[in-house]
This record gives sequence, C-alpha cells and structure tokens, in this order.
Amino acid sequence: MLYQRLLLPLILFSGARMKAYIVKRFFESLLTVFFVVVAVFMLLRFMPTDGYFDRDDYTEMSEAARNAYLRTLGLTDNPLVQLGRFVVNLAQGDWGRSITVYPRTSISEILLEKIPYSLSFGLSAISISIVLGLLMGILMAQYKDGIVDGVGTAYVVLVRAIPSLIYLFLIQIWVTKLLGWPMLFNERNPVSWILPAISLALPNIAWYAIWLRRFMVDEENKDYIKFAVSKGVPRRTIMFKHVLRNAAVPLVQYLPSQILLTVGGSLIIESIYSIPGLGGLLVYAIRQQDNPLVQALVLIFSVLGIFGVFMGDVLMVLVDPRIKLGKAAKSGGHA
Amino acid sequence: MKRIPIGLSALILALALLTACGGSEAKTIDKYSATYAEEAKVLNYFLIPDVTGQRVAANTQDQLVENDRFGRFVPALAESWTISPDNLVWTFKLRQGQYWVDHTGAKTQYEVTADDFVAGFRYVSDPKNGIRNVRTVRSVIKGLYDYYYNLIDFDDGVLENTTREQLLADFDKNVGVKALDKYTVQYTLDQITPFFLSYLTMDVFFPVEKAFIDQLGQDFGTAADRLLYSGGYYLSSWQRDKEIVMTKNEHYWDAENITAKTVHLQKSSDSAVELQMFMRGELSSATLTADQVQGITGTAYRDKVYMSDLSSVTFWWHPNFASDNPEFAAFIRNENFRKAMFYGIDHVKLLSLDDPVNPLGLMRTTIIPEENCFDENGKDYTDYPGVREWKQAGNPYDPAKARDYFAKALAELTDGNGNINGVQETIVNQKPVVEFKVDGKLPLQMVYVHSAGSRSTTQALLFQAMMQEMFQGQVEVVLGQFVDDDYDEVILPNRYDMMYSSLRFSYADPLAQFGRIVEDDGLLNVAVDSAAARERQGFYDPEIKVLIDQAAAETVLSKRYELFAKAENLMLQRAYLIPFRAGGGSYTIGNVVPYTMPRGGFGVTRFKYKGMQIENEPLTEARVRQLREQFYKDLEVAVGAKK
Repeated sequence: MLYQRLLLPLILFSGARMKAYIVKRFFESLLTVFFVVVAVFMLLRFMPTDGYFDRDDYTEMSEAARNAYLRTLGLTDNPLVQLGRFVVNLAQGDWGRSITVYPRTSISEILLEKIPYSLSFGLSAISISIVLGLLMGILMAQYKDGIVDGVGTAYVVLVRAIPSLIYLFLIQIWVTKLLGWPMLFNERNPVSWILPAISLALPNIAWYAIWLRRFMVDEENKDYIKFAVSKGVPRRTIMFKHVLRNAAVPLVQYLPSQILLTVGGSLIIESIYSIPGLGGLLVYAIRQQDNPLVQALVLIFSVLGIFGVFMGDVLMVLVDPRIKLGKAAKSGGHA
Repeated sequence: MKRIPIGLSALILALALLTACGGSEAKTIDKYSATYAEEAKVLNYFLIPDVTGQRVAANTQDQLVENDRFGRFVPALAESWTISPDNLVWTFKLRQGQYWVDHTGAKTQYEVTADDFVAGFRYVSDPKNGIRNVRTVRSVIKGLYDYYYNLIDFDDGVLENTTREQLLADFDKNVGVKALDKYTVQYTLDQITPFFLSYLTMDVFFPVEKAFIDQLGQDFGTAADRLLYSGGYYLSSWQRDKEIVMTKNEHYWDAENITAKTVHLQKSSDSAVELQMFMRGELSSATLTADQVQGITGTAYRDKVYMSDLSSVTFWWHPNFASDNPEFAAFIRNENFRKAMFYGIDHVKLLSLDDPVNPLGLMRTTIIPEENCFDENGKDYTDYPGVREWKQAGNPYDPAKARDYFAKALAELTDGNGNINGVQETIVNQKPVVEFKVDGKLPLQMVYVHSAGSRSTTQALLFQAMMQEMFQGQVEVVLGQFVDDDYDEVILPNRYDMMYSSLRFSYADPLAQFGRIVEDDGLLNVAVDSAAARERQGFYDPEIKVLIDQAAAETVLSKRYELFAKAENLMLQRAYLIPFRAGGGSYTIGNVVPYTMPRGGFGVTRFKYKGMQIENEPLTEARVRQLREQFYKDLEVAVGAKK
C-alpha cells in the first residue's frame, strides 16, 4: 500500500539516480524494521513469565494452573517457533490477541478502535501548529527584536520551560469553567474536541515558530539576500519568495515523521481529557508484559518512524536544490 | 496541503465560538454519573481482573443469591433453596420465565435455566480458560479438584490413555454441579461449608448461555454486543478507555428496585477533575483526598464531605521471615523485636495522611475484619474472646513498651558492644529494589519497600523517621520502591524486609485470610508455616498452624470461630503481622443516599447499584451521620448482630 501510493509515483517520475536512491533507502528501511521486530520479539521472550499474571492470579492460581495458562498462550514453545507463528499469522492479517491489557481481545480490533482518535487529534494539532507556528515564526523573523518577536519568544520560553502538565491542567480547569465546556472529551459534543487539539498543538507551535525564525534570520544574513536588497527587491518579496522558501526546507524533513507518528497519540493529553486513543498504550503494554500487544505496537511505530525518516530524506532530496545525488557524493557532500 | 490545516483550524475556531452549545448535561435523579480510574479491561465476567469490571459484571449479571442492604444473603435468580440434612447438598430453585437480554435491552430466545449455571461452572473449571478464582472453590465443590487436575495432567502429558474430550465429559459424572431439571440447580460439597452462600456471590458462580458462548468462542465478552445480560442493567455502550453506560433492564425480575435508570461512568484518572466535575453538576458523587478536603474548607461544600464506610480489606505491616538480609533475619525471628515494632508504630501519625480529622476512624487492629463473619447465633467473629480484646484495645502505639521490648531484643541478639550475634559483614543484593552493605553491627538495617506514589512515599518516609526516633538510631530503615506490582516485583522475588500490604477477603470465613497466610507455599513469607521461611531460616510456628487446621475442620461456626480466634490472638500476641488500616473509608461527597444499596464484604454483589437513591442536592455530613446511626439500629434488628 505504502509502496503503491507513495513510492511508486516517486520512482516513476524521478531520474535514474533518484530511483536508485529511493529503492536503496526503502530496502534499508525494511531491513531496519525487520531487525527491530525480531529484537523486540526475542527480548520479550527472555522476560520472566511472572509478568503474565497479576498478584491475584498468583495468590489464586496454583503452579500447575499457571503453567496450563501459559501453555494456552503458546508461551511454553521455543521462542523461534513463536516468532515463526507470529510472522505467519501477521502475513494472514492476524495480529493476535491481547493477554493482560485487554485479555483475549483481538489486537486489530483494539488498534482500529484507538488509532482514529489519536490520528484525528494528532492531525488537527499538526495543522494548527503548522498554521500558527509558521505564522508566528514569520512575524518574529520579520519584526526581529520588536514587540512581536518578544511576545513570541516569551511564549516559546513559557511553553518549553513550564512542565506541560501544569499549563495543560490549568487550561482544562479554567477554560472549561470560563466557557462552560465539558471537562472531558465527548465525541457526541464537538465543543469538547477543541481544547485537546489546541493543547496538543501548543508545544509544536513553539517548535515551528522558533526554528522558522532561526532559519529565516540565518537566511536574511546571507549574501544572496543582501544582494536582492541592494537590487531594490521589495522586502515582502524577499521574505516570502526567498527567505521563507529556503528557511522552510529543513523543517520539511521532519514533517512526514511528525504526521505518521501522530498515530501513537499523546499520553498526557489523552489521559487528562479521557480520549480513548493509543497514547501511553505501548508503555502500559510493556509494563503489563502483554507481548502480542507490545509486538504489534512496536511493529507499527517502528514502521511509521522508519518510513517517516525515509520519506523526510526523500522529500529533502526533492525540495532542496543543493542536494545532488551521485555528483555530490564524489565530492564528499550530501547523499 | 495548505487547505487542510487552514480548513481544520477554521473548523476548530468556529467550534470555539459555539460556547453556548457546551456545558454539562442536565442531571436527573434517575441517572447516576461517576468516574472511574481503572479501565474495565474485559467484559468476560469470569475473568474480570479489576474493580470497574466487577462493577459492570455485578450490575449486568445476576446470581443465585445476592446481598441485601444489610448484607444478608437473599434470593436473586434462585427463588428458594434447601440444604440436605448432612449440610453437603445445596439445591436451588430458579425463578421461571427469566430471559437473557442483549445489548439493546431486547429479550432473547434464551431463558435463564439451571443449565446456564452448570455451563458457567464448566467453563471456569477448565484450566485452559485461565479463570483465577477457581482455586478458592476447588476444594469446596465435590469432584472439582480431581477433574481440574486431571485436565492439567493431561495437558502436561502426564495423563495418558485418555482424551481431553473424555475428561471434559467427566464433569457431568464427577463434579458436584448439576441441573436436576430446567429450574433446579444443585451443588454437592466436599465438606460441610456453612458459609457456602458467600461463595455464590463470587464471579465463578455466574451463569452463562452455552449456545451463545459456543458461538462466540474467544470473542465472548470482548464487546458489549458479545455478551448477554441477566442482571438489573444491560450494557448499552462500552467504549474502551472512555465510558461505560448501563441501562435498566426492563425484563429483570426485580426491575422495580432498579431505581437509577441509567448509570454513566466516565474514565478519568485525576481526582481534581473528578471534584471539579462534581461541583459543576456533571457527577452524582466524587471521592476527595485529604488535601482537597482542606482546599474546600470555608466553601459551601465542606459540610457535605463525609467518610465512607470501611471495607473488608485489612492493610497490615508484613515482615519477611525469609529475608536475605542477615541482620533483619536475625531480628525478626526474635519475639521481643517483633513486639517492639508492633508497639512502636504510631498509627495516628500515619493514618493522618488519609484522614487528618479522625485518623483512628480508619484503624483496624484485627486481621479479620469486623461485621463480615457471623456465627449461627449472629455473633460477630471479632467479638470472640482473643480477638475482641484486640478490637477494643484501640491504638496499640506505646513508646515505653516498644523501647522496653527493643532493649530485651538487643540483650538477646547482640553482644553488648553493638555486634549482632552470628551476623557477618556482607552485601545484601535485592536489586533492582535495593543493594546495600550490612556490617553485622548496630544499627540494624532493614529494607522497607513501597510503591512510587506520593502517599506511599510519604508514609515510607514517616515510617523511616518513626523507627529512627523510636529506637534512638539503632534501627535504620533503607527505603526501596517498586514500580507496578508489589507481588511480582517484591514479594515473589523476595526483595524486602518490611512491606505494607493486604489480601482480598474472598468469602465469609476467617479461613479466607488465614488459609493464605499460613499455607505451605508461604505466599506472604509469614513464619507461621511458610515453606520459604522454613527453608531459609529454619523457623516457623506450629502451634498456630495446628489451631488453624483444627478450626478449618470444624463445621459448627461458633466452635470454628473460637479456634480461629485463638489462632489470631497468638498471631497478634507474637506480632507476626501488624494490622493497621481498614480499606474503604475515603472522603466522599455526593447526592447518593448511603445504605440504600446491597452491602457485603465478598463477591461482587456489593458493587450493585440496585436500590440506589439519588437526591437533587449533595447530602450533608450531619445527614449521613444520622443515616448511619439509623442504619446500624435497623441492622441490629435485621441480623440480630450483637455489637
């Protein structure tokens, strides 16, 4: 699917060197995913089996009953046999069933329930943060050392310096009280969607603003901009056609990863607003030693993370004219 | 690409302007709303590993008997029952015409029959289904022990010349759970068990419709529409990690007592959010921390906060008699040292963490809780000689006594120059909890392991300071933390000297606790008869074990309780455990009238909302006090309990 929708058009409409680069990076990414999955799978099998039970299980079940239970889960088989079974089942679309987190529930069902929430809030937050963050960054760069820059910097410092739980909690308590909104997310009440999305966007707004400002200020000090100024090119044209366009290039690289990893959800936001997404599920599944669930989540996150980086690299090659495949390599540069 | 974020941002901005659309829903007295912190992991009511799941099961499934508001066992799906003259055969007559309903509340084709109780028990009796609580009844129901272990032996490859199907077929022949006819279910017991009704409120005695569970297989109970309901409510909506909505089952046999038509539970792990939601009228009740109670002092809410009733859970200080720490191992085997600890813990100071106003209201000084076990004459077990004295004695804290016992212990365990007899310098490795060096000299170093929560950490620090001060620097408490589960991380791998712990009280008999405290595999490493303690330290107390074995074999409750009380008295006199605090007892504010719902310390019926009365305004503390006084008067009449 990924290959058909994203890679195939890229390969078809790119040059020979680009094609070779994409194919090479794609297979490198696949290999990385494979090693991550195998490593996590085997490490989980080396964990003590105590983790498959909670305290009540231990006090209520006998040794024999515990062994019988482990056998029903297939955990007494050789780890390689278990790995083989996992791969075969995965190929058939069977992700297995959760053991301890949501006992006996199909993992694909859990993922299908939870991913849409994390994805919706994540994409909304990214959209908000791109719009507001870039706008803030542009204004801060344009009015460098002015009031707007000062206010923007103060916002960035506050968001990054204060532990997020504090301001997120204050927003939840005070804003909902002031506006008469429900405190918890309720999908039947659209008003309750607003604060989680905005709260989720706050750190990213700061991130986009501060980096864009920095790259734009860097660009403004370069010779080609000074030349354009001396030629009498209007400041607005310089800022948007040259400075912003070039300053945005480094940010583009992170965009695919950010978008893909929204699937993972946010532990804090989902917890305080009671959003039933994926946030924190991996950590919880690891603590509960729910091996099938951990495997599924690691597989998903590693695929998304690795392909996010891959897509970011490819995008960089496409949008940054300074990157030349092949030739630059010979001179010890990029690619 | 530009259009999407702008569109979404515009949508969110537009929604932000719709402030008038938000706000809390109007609350009526036939709707109960509350929050829960722990998710109902699964709806399969035989598995239910958490309190939220038990709450759902209790309200959506019915059993043969239930507790009434006084805690008495009264008919539920069983209309009546008889007990054979030898007390071993219990026969229950079911109500006729009770049907399972689905997640829309519609009556299904399936009637609740005796076969459903047999099918439910057959399901829990198969080790492959991994049902935890079957152990509790394995030696109670006739033939179950052999049936269960034959299946395990077969699965282990030990039992040959048979098939699993043949062994499963033995259930009907050998296990003492039978459907005599469509509406009669019979349980045959291995030994006379006068408290058998208290077992019947456990999850393992739920009925199940065989055709339905066979059809769903592993998917049974993984969603609201993958269950059938026999209780006062059906699960109309369940969103994992989000909310639970239970709606009144109009086909329920006792529908007129299902007073709250809708129960709406929302997940929220933050107590501050819970309190705010209550104050905004979004919830029917909330629990508060001590800090929150102080925070609302001077507001209109303060006089509406009351302390909820204590539960059957007892928290205790629990020493490890199989400790790897040679200094602690030497001291804990000494009765004078144990007594020094017993009298040296300041209950008031520690309980003030939970209730600064009336800390001793939370204290429990007996191992078995009061108001849970009554003999054939209605006498509470904790009023038996030997236990009654401990209950009445109040706070055992006595610094002079503690120091006196400690001085005696020092005289017996050290050479007078600060050297502990027979203990050499070594490294105590209890990693990852803690690792430290002991030198075989005073001060005694002991490891106290606690959870990472702030309340638990504060308690640990107080305990540390208390020991330091009480024993004038001769006892040094080394603190260690566990992350998730005390049993898996600490008790099982033997990484502690002292723990603050508890066990669930499963059925209405002292054996429910003593059975596990003294049993051979030594779950708590308590020295009474712990295999681990015996192996490591060559130490145990046969006198108590004999008393408990004798009590367990006694079938007349009053005689049984007498023996248990003697055993408990010795356990407390010899300070093997230090009972400290009762469960429950949390600050509560709410519109729910207490004492209107089923009550009882066992099984799941105590979680029922049946009969719940909800008022328009929060009840005042004074009103709750009046209700409590009246309730206990009514209780005395109802159960004839001698208080």
